[in-house]
Amino acid sequence: MHKGTWSLLATLATLGAVQAVAASDPASASTPAEPQGCITVKSVAEIEQETVNDKGERVKRLVPAAKVVPGMEVIWTVTASNVCAQAVGNVTIDNPVPEHMRYVPDSALGAGADIVFSLDGRRFAAAEQLRVRDADGSERTARPDEYTHIRWLFRNPIEPGRMALARFRAVLK
Amino acid sequence: MHNKPKGLGSRPVQFALALIALAGVAGRAEALGVVAGTQIENTAQVSYTIGGTSVSTASNTVALTVAEVLDVVVTLQSATTSVSPGATDQVLVYRVTNTGNASEGFRLALTSVLGGDEFDPLPAAPAVYFDTDGSGALTAADTPYTPGANDPVLAPDGFVTVLAVHDIPSGLANGARGFARLEVAALTGTGAPGTVFAGQGAGGTDAVVGTSGADGEATGQYVVADITLAAVKSATVTDPFGGSRPVPGARIRYQIVVTATGSGVATGVSFLDPIPANTSFVPGSITLNGNPLTDSTADADAGGYTTTPSAAVQVALGDLTQASGPQTLVFDVTIN
Repeated sequence: MHKGTWSLLATLATLGAVQAVAASDPASASTPAEPQGCITVKSVAEIEQETVNDKGERVKRLVPAAKVVPGMEVIWTVTASNVCAQAVGNVTIDNPVPEHMRYVPDSALGAGADIVFSLDGRRFAAAEQLRVRDADGSERTARPDEYTHIRWLFRNPIEPGRMALARFRAVLK
Repeated sequence: MHNKPKGLGSRPVQFALALIALAGVAGRAEALGVVAGTQIENTAQVSYTIGGTSVSTASNTVALTVAEVLDVVVTLQSATTSVSPGATDQVLVYRVTNTGNASEGFRLALTSVLGGDEFDPLPAAPAVYFDTDGSGALTAADTPYTPGANDPVLAPDGFVTVLAVHDIPSGLANGARGFARLEVAALTGTGAPGTVFAGQGAGGTDAVVGTSGADGEATGQYVVADITLAAVKSATVTDPFGGSRPVPGARIRYQIVVTATGSGVATGVSFLDPIPANTSFVPGSITLNGNPLTDSTADADAGGYTTTPSAAVQVALGDLTQASGPQTLVFDVTIN
Protein backbone atom coordinates (compact mmCIF):
# COMPACT_ATOMS: atom_id res chain seq x y z
CA MET A 1 0.00 0.00 0.00
CA HIS A 2 2.78 2.40 0.87
CA LYS A 3 4.53 1.77 -2.37
CA GLY A 4 1.33 2.30 -4.32
CA THR A 5 0.68 5.61 -2.65
CA TRP A 6 4.20 6.75 -3.26
CA SER A 7 4.28 5.95 -6.93
CA LEU A 8 0.91 7.59 -7.54
CA LEU A 9 1.98 10.77 -5.79
CA ALA A 10 5.28 10.73 -7.60
CA THR A 11 3.47 10.55 -10.90
CA LEU A 12 1.27 13.46 -9.99
CA ALA A 13 4.25 15.48 -8.90
CA THR A 14 6.01 14.74 -12.13
CA LEU A 15 3.06 15.83 -14.21
CA GLY A 16 2.79 18.99 -12.17
CA ALA A 17 6.40 19.80 -12.75
CA VAL A 18 6.24 19.22 -16.49
CA GLN A 19 3.14 21.31 -16.85
CA ALA A 20 4.58 24.07 -14.75
CA VAL A 21 7.70 24.21 -16.86
CA ALA A 22 5.73 24.23 -20.05
CA ALA A 23 3.50 27.03 -18.86
CA SER A 24 6.13 29.31 -17.46
CA ASP A 25 8.78 28.92 -20.09
CA PRO A 26 7.55 27.74 -23.48
CA ALA A 27 10.94 28.29 -25.03
CA SER A 28 12.53 25.61 -22.92
CA ALA A 29 9.88 23.08 -23.77
CA SER A 30 11.99 21.76 -26.60
CA THR A 31 14.94 21.00 -24.35
CA PRO A 32 14.62 18.26 -21.82
CA ALA A 33 13.42 19.72 -18.56
CA GLU A 34 15.51 19.29 -15.50
CA PRO A 35 14.94 15.85 -14.00
CA GLN A 36 11.44 15.95 -12.68
CA GLY A 37 11.27 15.72 -8.97
CA CYS A 38 14.64 16.94 -7.82
CA ILE A 39 13.72 16.14 -4.27
CA THR A 40 12.94 12.74 -2.90
CA VAL A 41 11.03 12.89 0.33
CA LYS A 42 10.98 10.26 2.97
CA SER A 43 9.02 10.23 6.18
CA VAL A 44 9.81 7.83 9.01
CA ALA A 45 8.40 7.21 12.46
CA GLU A 46 10.76 6.13 15.17
CA ILE A 47 10.86 5.71 18.89
CA GLU A 48 13.71 6.28 21.26
CA GLN A 49 15.05 3.15 22.83
CA GLU A 50 17.44 3.16 25.73
CA THR A 51 20.06 0.48 25.69
CA VAL A 52 23.29 -0.23 27.51
CA ASN A 53 26.41 -0.24 25.35
CA ASP A 54 29.65 -2.19 25.67
CA LYS A 55 30.97 0.25 28.23
CA GLY A 56 27.90 -0.15 30.39
CA GLU A 57 26.63 3.31 29.52
CA ARG A 58 23.00 4.00 28.87
CA VAL A 59 22.57 5.25 25.35
CA LYS A 60 19.51 6.24 23.42
CA ARG A 61 19.00 5.23 19.85
CA LEU A 62 16.17 5.56 17.41
CA VAL A 63 14.44 2.42 16.23
CA PRO A 64 11.52 2.13 13.81
CA ALA A 65 8.17 2.50 15.52
CA ALA A 66 6.83 -1.01 15.11
CA LYS A 67 3.92 -0.65 17.47
CA VAL A 68 2.61 2.33 19.35
CA VAL A 69 0.55 2.52 22.50
CA PRO A 70 -1.05 5.51 24.22
CA GLY A 71 1.50 7.72 25.93
CA MET A 72 4.30 6.68 23.62
CA GLU A 73 6.45 9.40 22.10
CA VAL A 74 7.04 9.04 18.37
CA ILE A 75 9.78 10.91 16.53
CA TRP A 76 8.69 11.90 13.04
CA THR A 77 11.50 12.69 10.63
CA VAL A 78 11.20 13.96 7.07
CA THR A 79 14.24 14.02 4.84
CA ALA A 80 14.22 15.89 1.55
CA SER A 81 17.19 14.88 -0.58
CA ASN A 82 18.31 16.79 -3.63
CA VAL A 83 18.89 14.18 -6.31
CA CYS A 84 19.50 16.69 -9.10
CA ALA A 85 22.71 18.26 -10.31
CA GLN A 86 21.68 21.76 -9.33
CA ALA A 87 20.65 23.43 -6.15
CA VAL A 88 16.98 23.78 -5.24
CA GLY A 89 15.70 26.80 -3.39
CA ASN A 90 12.78 27.88 -1.25
CA VAL A 91 12.55 24.42 0.23
CA THR A 92 9.52 24.11 2.48
CA ILE A 93 8.50 20.99 4.36
CA ASP A 94 4.95 20.74 5.65
CA ASN A 95 4.10 18.00 8.07
CA PRO A 96 0.82 17.59 9.91
CA VAL A 97 0.78 16.47 13.52
CA PRO A 98 -0.96 13.13 13.00
CA GLU A 99 -4.47 12.71 14.25
CA HIS A 100 -4.63 11.26 17.79
CA MET A 101 -1.22 12.69 18.55
CA ARG A 102 -0.08 15.69 20.57
CA TYR A 103 2.94 17.76 19.58
CA VAL A 104 5.68 17.79 22.18
CA PRO A 105 6.57 21.42 23.02
CA ASP A 106 9.85 22.70 21.56
CA SER A 107 10.51 19.40 19.82
CA ALA A 108 10.50 20.67 16.22
CA LEU A 109 13.97 21.03 14.80
CA GLY A 110 15.53 21.53 11.41
CA ALA A 111 18.99 22.95 10.80
CA GLY A 112 18.86 26.16 8.81
CA ALA A 113 15.10 26.36 8.89
CA ASP A 114 12.61 28.79 10.34
CA ILE A 115 9.84 26.78 11.95
CA VAL A 116 6.25 27.99 12.01
CA PHE A 117 3.07 26.37 13.26
CA SER A 118 -0.57 26.26 12.34
CA LEU A 119 -3.88 25.40 13.92
CA ASP A 120 -5.64 24.69 10.63
CA GLY A 121 -3.01 23.86 8.02
CA ARG A 122 -3.55 27.16 6.20
CA ARG A 123 -2.37 30.01 8.37
CA PHE A 124 1.14 29.56 9.73
CA ALA A 125 2.97 31.72 12.25
CA ALA A 126 5.84 31.57 14.68
CA ALA A 127 4.87 29.91 17.95
CA GLU A 128 4.59 33.12 19.95
CA GLN A 129 2.55 34.83 17.23
CA LEU A 130 -0.03 32.09 16.89
CA ARG A 131 -3.13 33.38 18.65
CA VAL A 132 -6.43 31.72 19.43
CA ARG A 133 -9.71 33.16 20.62
CA ASP A 134 -11.37 31.28 23.44
CA ALA A 135 -15.08 30.74 23.76
CA ASP A 136 -15.33 33.68 26.14
CA GLY A 137 -13.82 36.01 23.54
CA SER A 138 -10.45 36.43 25.18
CA GLU A 139 -7.36 35.99 23.04
CA ARG A 140 -4.28 34.07 24.00
CA THR A 141 -1.21 32.41 22.55
CA ALA A 142 -1.90 28.95 21.17
CA ARG A 143 -0.68 26.04 23.25
CA PRO A 144 1.71 23.56 21.61
CA ASP A 145 -0.82 20.76 22.07
CA GLU A 146 -3.16 22.71 19.80
CA TYR A 147 -0.80 22.74 16.82
CA THR A 148 -2.06 20.71 13.88
CA HIS A 149 0.63 21.43 11.30
CA ILE A 150 4.30 22.35 11.29
CA ARG A 151 6.19 24.04 8.46
CA TRP A 152 9.94 24.25 8.00
CA LEU A 153 11.17 27.11 5.79
CA PHE A 154 14.77 26.45 4.77
CA ARG A 155 16.70 29.67 4.49
CA ASN A 156 19.34 28.42 2.04
CA PRO A 157 19.17 26.35 -1.14
CA ILE A 158 19.91 22.67 -0.87
CA GLU A 159 22.94 21.75 -2.88
CA PRO A 160 23.07 18.63 -5.05
CA GLY A 161 23.54 15.48 -3.02
CA ARG A 162 22.55 17.20 0.23
CA MET A 163 19.41 16.87 2.22
CA ALA A 164 17.16 18.88 4.46
CA LEU A 165 15.91 17.31 7.64
CA ALA A 166 12.78 18.22 9.57
CA ARG A 167 11.90 16.47 12.79
CA PHE A 168 9.39 16.70 15.61
CA ARG A 169 8.10 14.58 18.43
CA ALA A 170 4.50 13.76 19.22
CA VAL A 171 2.84 11.68 21.91
CA LEU A 172 0.05 9.25 21.17
CA LYS A 173 -3.01 10.36 23.09
CA MET B 1 -44.71 10.56 85.98
CA HIS B 2 -44.88 8.45 82.88
CA ASN B 3 -48.48 9.17 82.11
CA LYS B 4 -49.22 8.56 78.52
CA PRO B 5 -51.38 11.04 76.73
CA LYS B 6 -54.60 9.42 75.70
CA GLY B 7 -54.43 7.84 72.28
CA LEU B 8 -50.71 8.27 71.82
CA GLY B 9 -49.68 4.69 72.27
CA SER B 10 -46.16 3.48 72.53
CA ARG B 11 -43.75 4.84 69.94
CA PRO B 12 -40.67 2.80 69.37
CA VAL B 13 -37.46 4.60 68.72
CA GLN B 14 -36.37 3.94 65.19
CA PHE B 15 -32.80 3.40 64.25
CA ALA B 16 -31.24 3.31 60.92
CA LEU B 17 -27.80 1.83 61.00
CA ALA B 18 -26.04 2.55 57.78
CA LEU B 19 -22.66 1.47 56.59
CA ILE B 20 -21.17 4.40 54.84
CA ALA B 21 -19.69 3.12 51.63
CA LEU B 22 -16.43 4.58 50.47
CA ALA B 23 -16.96 7.34 48.02
CA GLY B 24 -17.54 5.77 44.65
CA VAL B 25 -14.94 7.74 42.85
CA ALA B 26 -12.67 4.86 42.05
CA GLY B 27 -12.52 3.37 38.63
CA ARG B 28 -11.04 5.87 36.31
CA ALA B 29 -7.45 5.58 37.23
CA GLU B 30 -6.07 7.46 34.30
CA ALA B 31 -7.16 9.00 31.06
CA LEU B 32 -7.57 6.34 28.47
CA GLY B 33 -5.70 6.47 25.23
CA VAL B 34 -6.48 6.02 21.61
CA VAL B 35 -8.40 2.82 20.98
CA ALA B 36 -6.43 -0.19 19.79
CA GLY B 37 -6.47 -0.75 16.04
CA THR B 38 -6.57 2.97 15.21
CA GLN B 39 -4.35 3.89 12.26
CA ILE B 40 -1.98 6.81 12.80
CA GLU B 41 -0.99 8.17 9.42
CA ASN B 42 1.42 10.82 8.29
CA THR B 43 2.35 12.23 4.91
CA ALA B 44 4.69 15.18 4.57
CA GLN B 45 4.67 17.66 1.67
CA VAL B 46 7.74 19.34 0.30
CA SER B 47 7.76 22.29 -2.05
CA TYR B 48 10.75 23.96 -3.65
CA THR B 49 11.81 25.91 -6.67
CA ILE B 50 14.21 24.86 -9.32
CA GLY B 51 15.09 27.00 -12.30
CA GLY B 52 12.34 29.40 -11.35
CA THR B 53 9.72 26.65 -11.26
CA SER B 54 7.76 25.68 -8.19
CA VAL B 55 7.48 21.99 -7.52
CA SER B 56 5.60 20.16 -4.83
CA THR B 57 5.92 16.54 -3.84
CA ALA B 58 4.63 14.27 -1.12
CA SER B 59 6.45 11.80 1.01
CA ASN B 60 5.52 8.22 1.53
CA THR B 61 2.66 7.74 3.96
CA VAL B 62 3.73 6.30 7.26
CA ALA B 63 0.97 4.29 8.95
CA LEU B 64 1.25 3.08 12.50
CA THR B 65 -1.32 0.86 14.14
CA VAL B 66 -2.16 1.47 17.77
CA ALA B 67 -1.55 -1.71 19.73
CA GLU B 68 -3.73 -2.92 22.58
CA VAL B 69 -2.64 -1.98 26.07
CA LEU B 70 -3.64 -4.46 28.74
CA ASP B 71 -4.40 -2.67 31.98
CA VAL B 72 -6.82 -3.16 34.82
CA VAL B 73 -7.54 -1.55 38.17
CA VAL B 74 -9.32 -3.22 41.05
CA THR B 75 -10.66 -1.10 43.88
CA LEU B 76 -12.44 -1.96 47.10
CA GLN B 77 -15.75 -0.15 47.24
CA SER B 78 -16.95 -1.20 50.67
CA ALA B 79 -15.65 -0.01 53.99
CA THR B 80 -14.52 -2.54 56.55
CA THR B 81 -17.56 -4.74 57.01
CA SER B 82 -18.66 -5.33 60.60
CA VAL B 83 -19.87 -8.87 61.10
CA SER B 84 -21.10 -11.14 63.86
CA PRO B 85 -19.57 -14.60 64.39
CA GLY B 86 -21.52 -17.20 62.43
CA ALA B 87 -23.07 -14.64 60.09
CA THR B 88 -23.74 -15.85 56.54
CA ASP B 89 -23.62 -14.13 53.14
CA GLN B 90 -21.52 -11.20 54.24
CA VAL B 91 -20.46 -9.01 51.33
CA LEU B 92 -17.41 -7.04 50.23
CA VAL B 93 -17.84 -4.83 47.17
CA TYR B 94 -15.14 -4.39 44.53
CA ARG B 95 -14.95 -2.59 41.23
CA VAL B 96 -12.97 -3.88 38.27
CA THR B 97 -12.13 -1.22 35.65
CA ASN B 98 -10.57 -1.81 32.25
CA THR B 99 -7.97 0.94 32.01
CA GLY B 100 -6.62 -0.42 28.74
CA ASN B 101 -7.54 0.82 25.27
CA ALA B 102 -9.48 -2.13 23.90
CA SER B 103 -12.30 -4.38 24.91
CA GLU B 104 -10.83 -7.12 27.07
CA GLY B 105 -11.96 -10.11 29.10
CA PHE B 106 -10.87 -10.61 32.67
CA ARG B 107 -10.56 -13.62 34.95
CA LEU B 108 -11.56 -13.13 38.59
CA ALA B 109 -10.30 -15.10 41.59
CA LEU B 110 -11.14 -14.74 45.26
CA THR B 111 -8.72 -15.63 48.04
CA SER B 112 -9.48 -15.48 51.72
CA VAL B 113 -6.67 -17.58 53.19
CA LEU B 114 -4.30 -14.71 53.80
CA GLY B 115 -1.76 -13.69 56.38
CA GLY B 116 -2.07 -10.79 58.74
CA ASP B 117 -5.59 -11.44 59.90
CA GLU B 118 -7.20 -13.44 62.69
CA PHE B 119 -9.65 -15.59 60.73
CA ASP B 120 -10.35 -16.79 57.21
CA PRO B 121 -13.73 -15.77 55.85
CA LEU B 122 -15.39 -18.84 54.30
CA PRO B 123 -16.29 -18.34 50.62
CA ALA B 124 -19.98 -18.91 50.00
CA ALA B 125 -20.96 -21.10 47.05
CA PRO B 126 -20.84 -19.34 44.69
CA ALA B 127 -18.61 -16.74 46.26
CA VAL B 128 -18.43 -14.12 43.50
CA TYR B 129 -21.39 -12.29 42.00
CA PHE B 130 -21.81 -9.43 39.60
CA ASP B 131 -23.85 -6.65 41.15
CA THR B 132 -26.31 -6.91 38.29
CA ASP B 133 -28.92 -4.66 39.82
CA GLY B 134 -26.37 -2.10 40.97
CA SER B 135 -27.62 -2.21 44.54
CA GLY B 136 -24.22 -2.68 46.16
CA ALA B 137 -25.69 -5.59 48.10
CA LEU B 138 -26.33 -9.25 47.36
CA THR B 139 -29.83 -9.72 45.95
CA ALA B 140 -31.66 -12.39 43.99
CA ALA B 141 -31.14 -10.33 40.84
CA ASP B 142 -27.35 -10.61 40.98
CA THR B 143 -25.56 -13.00 38.61
CA PRO B 144 -23.13 -15.55 40.02
CA TYR B 145 -19.69 -15.67 38.40
CA THR B 146 -18.20 -18.87 37.04
CA PRO B 147 -14.58 -18.59 35.88
CA GLY B 148 -14.27 -19.35 32.20
CA ALA B 149 -18.02 -19.28 31.67
CA ASN B 150 -18.95 -15.65 32.14
CA ASP B 151 -15.69 -13.80 32.52
CA PRO B 152 -16.55 -10.10 32.27
CA VAL B 153 -15.64 -8.43 28.99
CA LEU B 154 -15.14 -4.74 29.60
CA ALA B 155 -14.97 -1.92 27.08
CA PRO B 156 -12.15 0.62 27.48
CA ASP B 157 -12.90 2.56 30.66
CA GLY B 158 -15.75 0.15 31.39
CA PHE B 159 -16.15 -1.35 34.82
CA VAL B 160 -18.10 -4.03 36.61
CA THR B 161 -19.08 -4.13 40.27
CA VAL B 162 -18.25 -7.44 41.91
CA LEU B 163 -19.60 -8.80 45.17
CA ALA B 164 -17.48 -11.20 47.23
CA VAL B 165 -19.68 -13.28 49.53
CA HIS B 166 -18.41 -15.02 52.64
CA ASP B 167 -19.71 -16.77 55.70
CA ILE B 168 -18.11 -15.86 59.02
CA PRO B 169 -16.86 -18.68 61.25
CA SER B 170 -18.45 -18.91 64.68
CA GLY B 171 -16.60 -18.57 67.95
CA LEU B 172 -14.58 -15.53 67.01
CA ALA B 173 -13.43 -12.87 69.44
CA ASN B 174 -14.54 -9.30 69.13
CA GLY B 175 -12.17 -7.29 66.95
CA ALA B 176 -10.96 -10.31 64.96
CA ARG B 177 -10.24 -9.45 61.34
CA GLY B 178 -10.61 -11.57 58.23
CA PHE B 179 -9.15 -10.49 54.88
CA ALA B 180 -10.40 -11.40 51.43
CA ARG B 181 -8.69 -10.47 48.19
CA LEU B 182 -10.12 -10.21 44.69
CA GLU B 183 -7.52 -10.87 42.01
CA VAL B 184 -8.17 -9.95 38.40
CA ALA B 185 -6.13 -10.80 35.31
CA ALA B 186 -6.53 -9.90 31.63
CA LEU B 187 -7.45 -12.97 29.59
CA THR B 188 -5.02 -12.08 26.81
CA GLY B 189 -2.18 -12.35 29.27
CA THR B 190 -0.28 -10.74 32.11
CA GLY B 191 3.36 -10.01 32.75
CA ALA B 192 5.93 -7.31 33.22
CA PRO B 193 4.91 -3.96 31.72
CA GLY B 194 5.97 -3.93 28.09
CA THR B 195 5.50 -7.65 27.55
CA VAL B 196 4.16 -8.16 24.03
CA PHE B 197 1.61 -10.73 22.93
CA ALA B 198 2.12 -10.56 19.18
CA GLY B 199 -1.06 -10.50 17.16
CA GLN B 200 -3.22 -11.17 20.19
CA GLY B 201 -4.58 -7.67 20.63
CA ALA B 202 -7.91 -6.32 19.48
CA GLY B 203 -8.35 -6.65 15.72
CA GLY B 204 -5.13 -8.60 15.30
CA THR B 205 -2.91 -5.88 16.68
CA ASP B 206 -0.22 -6.69 19.17
CA ALA B 207 -1.21 -6.62 22.82
CA VAL B 208 1.21 -4.90 25.19
CA VAL B 209 1.11 -5.26 28.95
CA GLY B 210 0.56 -1.85 30.57
CA THR B 211 1.82 -0.41 33.82
CA SER B 212 -0.54 -2.52 35.91
CA GLY B 213 0.99 -5.73 34.62
CA ALA B 214 -2.46 -6.47 33.19
CA ASP B 215 -3.57 -7.71 36.57
CA GLY B 216 -4.79 -6.13 39.75
CA GLU B 217 -6.07 -6.94 43.17
CA ALA B 218 -7.74 -5.34 46.14
CA THR B 219 -8.17 -6.64 49.66
CA GLY B 220 -11.20 -6.05 51.83
CA GLN B 221 -11.74 -6.99 55.42
CA TYR B 222 -14.39 -8.17 57.80
CA VAL B 223 -14.15 -7.24 61.46
CA VAL B 224 -16.03 -9.05 64.16
CA ALA B 225 -17.76 -6.24 65.92
CA ASP B 226 -20.34 -7.20 68.43
CA ILE B 227 -21.94 -3.94 69.20
CA THR B 228 -25.46 -3.33 70.37
CA LEU B 229 -27.30 -0.11 70.54
CA ALA B 230 -29.84 0.44 73.27
CA ALA B 231 -32.25 3.32 73.36
CA VAL B 232 -34.27 4.22 76.42
CA LYS B 233 -37.09 6.69 76.00
CA SER B 234 -38.91 8.50 78.74
CA ALA B 235 -41.55 11.23 78.77
CA THR B 236 -42.41 13.97 81.24
CA VAL B 237 -45.77 15.76 81.03
CA THR B 238 -46.35 19.31 82.25
CA ASP B 239 -49.93 20.57 82.02
CA PRO B 240 -50.92 24.24 81.80
CA PHE B 241 -52.12 24.15 85.37
CA GLY B 242 -48.82 23.20 86.96
CA GLY B 243 -49.68 19.53 87.08
CA SER B 244 -48.70 16.51 85.02
CA ARG B 245 -51.97 15.61 83.36
CA PRO B 246 -51.95 14.89 79.60
CA VAL B 247 -54.57 17.41 78.61
CA PRO B 248 -54.70 19.60 75.47
CA GLY B 249 -52.04 22.25 75.80
CA ALA B 250 -49.88 20.08 78.03
CA ARG B 251 -46.23 19.85 77.09
CA ILE B 252 -44.45 16.50 76.83
CA ARG B 253 -40.69 16.38 77.10
CA TYR B 254 -39.21 13.26 75.53
CA GLN B 255 -35.75 12.09 76.48
CA ILE B 256 -34.01 9.36 74.53
CA VAL B 257 -30.71 7.92 75.72
CA VAL B 258 -28.75 5.89 73.16
CA THR B 259 -25.95 3.68 74.43
CA ALA B 260 -23.51 1.53 72.46
CA THR B 261 -22.20 -1.60 74.13
CA GLY B 262 -19.56 -3.96 72.73
CA SER B 263 -16.22 -3.87 71.00
CA GLY B 264 -17.00 -2.62 67.53
CA VAL B 265 -18.07 0.56 65.85
CA ALA B 266 -21.64 1.30 64.90
CA THR B 267 -21.04 3.43 61.83
CA GLY B 268 -23.29 6.20 60.64
CA VAL B 269 -25.87 5.87 63.39
CA SER B 270 -28.88 7.98 62.65
CA PHE B 271 -31.90 8.43 64.80
CA LEU B 272 -35.45 9.17 63.73
CA ASP B 273 -38.29 9.63 66.21
CA PRO B 274 -41.75 10.38 64.78
CA ILE B 275 -43.81 13.10 66.40
CA PRO B 276 -46.79 11.28 67.95
CA ALA B 277 -50.25 11.79 66.46
CA ASN B 278 -52.31 14.55 68.03
CA THR B 279 -49.24 16.39 69.19
CA SER B 280 -47.19 19.23 67.73
CA PHE B 281 -43.43 19.64 67.81
CA VAL B 282 -42.27 22.61 69.89
CA PRO B 283 -39.88 24.66 67.73
CA GLY B 284 -36.38 25.13 69.14
CA SER B 285 -36.75 22.40 71.72
CA ILE B 286 -34.17 19.89 70.48
CA THR B 287 -31.01 19.33 72.47
CA LEU B 288 -28.28 16.68 72.05
CA ASN B 289 -26.20 16.01 75.16
CA GLY B 290 -27.46 19.33 76.54
CA ASN B 291 -26.47 21.35 73.46
CA PRO B 292 -29.27 22.99 71.50
CA LEU B 293 -29.77 21.96 67.88
CA THR B 294 -31.54 24.17 65.39
CA ASP B 295 -34.76 22.90 63.84
CA SER B 296 -33.28 22.96 60.33
CA THR B 297 -32.11 19.62 58.97
CA ALA B 298 -30.13 21.40 56.26
CA ASP B 299 -27.61 23.21 58.44
CA ALA B 300 -24.32 22.03 59.85
CA ASP B 301 -25.51 20.73 63.21
CA ALA B 302 -26.37 17.11 63.80
CA GLY B 303 -30.12 17.22 63.58
CA GLY B 304 -33.44 18.95 63.26
CA TYR B 305 -37.15 18.65 62.74
CA THR B 306 -38.57 17.39 59.48
CA THR B 307 -42.10 17.07 58.13
CA THR B 308 -41.18 14.89 55.17
CA PRO B 309 -42.41 12.22 54.75
CA SER B 310 -43.96 12.69 58.16
CA ALA B 311 -43.28 14.83 61.19
CA ALA B 312 -40.20 13.57 63.02
CA VAL B 313 -37.10 14.60 64.88
CA GLN B 314 -33.96 13.29 63.21
CA VAL B 315 -30.41 13.35 64.52
CA ALA B 316 -27.21 11.94 63.04
CA LEU B 317 -25.16 10.46 65.87
CA GLY B 318 -22.30 9.41 63.59
CA ASP B 319 -20.01 6.55 64.50
CA LEU B 320 -20.60 5.24 68.00
CA THR B 321 -18.45 3.02 70.16
CA GLN B 322 -18.79 2.02 73.75
CA ALA B 323 -16.34 4.79 74.57
CA SER B 324 -18.72 7.34 73.07
CA GLY B 325 -20.89 7.03 76.17
CA PRO B 326 -24.63 7.63 76.38
CA GLN B 327 -26.07 10.07 73.82
CA THR B 328 -28.96 12.03 75.25
CA LEU B 329 -31.53 13.58 72.97
CA VAL B 330 -34.35 15.77 74.24
CA PHE B 331 -37.28 17.42 72.48
CA ASP B 332 -40.74 18.73 73.36
CA VAL B 333 -44.21 18.37 71.89
CA THR B 334 -47.55 19.85 72.94
CA ILE B 335 -50.81 17.96 72.99
CA ASN B 336 -53.29 19.37 70.48
